Amino acid sequence: MLEVTGLTKRFRSRTGVVEAVRGVSFSVAAGEVLAFLGPNGAGKTTTIKMTAGLIRPDQGTVTIHGLDLCHRQSAAVQHIGAVLEGSRNLYWRLTVMENLLYWGAMRRIPYRQARLRAMDLLEQVGLTDRAKNTVQTLSRGMQQKVALCQALMHRPSVLLLDEPTLGLDFESSEGIKNMVRHLATDGTAILLTTHQLDVAEELSDRVAIIRGGQLILEDHTKAVLQQYSRSAYAIVTETPLPSSVLASMSDLPGQVNVISSQRLQYVPRDGDTETLYDLLGLLKPYPLLQVERHQADLAEVFQQVVNSEGEV
Amino acid sequence: MIGMLMAEWRRTVVETVRYPLETISSMATLFIVFAGLFYGATYITNSPIGGGRLTTVVVGYAVWMTMMAATGDLGWSIQNEAQNGTLEQVMMFPWPPVVIFLVRAFTAIVAFVLPMVAVLLGLLAMTHIHLQWHWAAVVPFAWALGTAWGLGLIVASIALLFKRIGQVLNIVQFAMLFLILAPIADFSAWGWRILSTIAPFTAQVTLLRDVLSQGKASLWLWMESGINFSLMILLGILLFIWATRVARSRGILGHY
Ligand SMILES: Nc1ncnc2c1ncn2[C@@H]1O[C@H](COP(=O)(O)OP(=O)(O)OP(=O)(O)O)[C@@H](O)[C@H]1O
Ligand SMILES: [Mg+2]
Repeated sequence: MLEVTGLTKRFRSRTGVVEAVRGVSFSVAAGEVLAFLGPNGAGKTTTIKMTAGLIRPDQGTVTIHGLDLCHRQSAAVQHIGAVLEGSRNLYWRLTVMENLLYWGAMRRIPYRQARLRAMDLLEQVGLTDRAKNTVQTLSRGMQQKVALCQALMHRPSVLLLDEPTLGLDFESSEGIKNMVRHLATDGTAILLTTHQLDVAEELSDRVAIIRGGQLILEDHTKAVLQQYSRSAYAIVTETPLPSSVLASMSDLPGQVNVISSQRLQYVPRDGDTETLYDLLGLLKPYPLLQVERHQADLAEVFQQVVNSEGEV
Repeated sequence: MIGMLMAEWRRTVVETVRYPLETISSMATLFIVFAGLFYGATYITNSPIGGGRLTTVVVGYAVWMTMMAATGDLGWSIQNEAQNGTLEQVMMFPWPPVVIFLVRAFTAIVAFVLPMVAVLLGLLAMTHIHLQWHWAAVVPFAWALGTAWGLGLIVASIALLFKRIGQVLNIVQFAMLFLILAPIADFSAWGWRILSTIAPFTAQVTLLRDVLSQGKASLWLWMESGINFSLMILLGILLFIWATRVARSRGILGHY
């Protein structure tokens, strides 16, 4: 649905040339959510804006719904909806409904159809009773929801979200997240950036991590998490273990770290699935509270990937 | 196109009407200014109320106000929208930006001129004063407006690229005060003749004045104003298209 190949962008500023994006390629299929992650200044917003046609790339192409953005911009943008970073995306003096009708009309939606669409969207985000309020009287969370509705008026097949849950409370974030899930189920291709890695982990089918303008990882979220989950186990007992038991464990193959008298960390050798049971045997009869295999989250993956030097 | 025009018109009306205090106060200002012109002109020139002299003053002032608004509006709206974050959304519409902004300029000026005409007509009715009026004057007025939009697009291009237009607009509007209100075309020196041919507004305003006072004007003046207006608007459009292109490639359509 969205295909980006070899995007490159250099900015000339007073302090010199910034290579904001260097040869970034990815694609987002219909119904898929791609989380686009990276530290500040990595080039996420620049990439998103190039995808939306707001920044012209030095090199590379963006194809939306089979339309080349560079050559068929006015046709291609009809398939894009975008909620951009931090900006309000709405006219503050207009009411919620007036805003939605305006944005709808500008995207060639007939008035009556736009009205129905707007009411439908407002119901989905739970803002039906705010339709007649001016946008400036709404809370940050509500504004963000209206901005999302605005971007969806023309039923875009590609949705670009730049930090959609930034500065929102739990309740509002949940609302936005639900909407994103819902849209993906309906077949929208969604590209979203965020610094909230738990949000990315919950929503995304795939992740891409960008650093210094280059993609350094791009894969299915599940696969990434699995790959970065080390085979380490945390073992917690209910009562303290005597030092004789702790000492006897040092002979086992692999590595046992005693974190406290009730808490152990065990890292088996590669492919060794047996020794864990020997270890548990040694702990008999002390009551176990917890045996858990380490599970990586995106935050951990992100830190490892971004901090690994030399890979770029 | 019609749908878009309607949408822009609704937005303009709503934004004006939503804060009635602003509208009322600006109409009150207009009322005071026009009333001042009516009586002031009468006392100063010591001529009977109405007639050619008053028409020149009142129309000159109204035209100057309108042209100021038409020139400044595009640039201000771009500067504000860049700051508010709506500009980038507008740039994603399936219309060329220059079309959108010209439509906006049109709706804005209609919203500006309607209250002004209402105040003026009200005053005329109250004072039983007659201004000289010929419908042919609509053409030079429209041409002057087109010239103002051309100039406005140039200012808007500056707004797109530099995001600050306060200073530029001050200079431009100061120059307009001179170009519109000073009877440059009547100066006989060659320098003035050339200036009035190439500078914006002088030709159209002179034409407007002649049409209002005599109901006709010289063919030469018609041609001069028509060509001057066409070049101005063309220059504005080309510059604006170029500026959006540059802003796109520098990544400064939004607020950077
Ligand atoms: N219009 C511009 N002119 C000059 N440099 C720019 C411009 N836009 C972005 N940059 C630079 O390009 C780099 C990438 O910026 P970008 O905004 O894409 O980062 P980001 O990943 O979105 O960061 P953040 O997480 O802070 O939003 C930065 O070094 C930034 O300073
Ligand atoms: Mg960003």
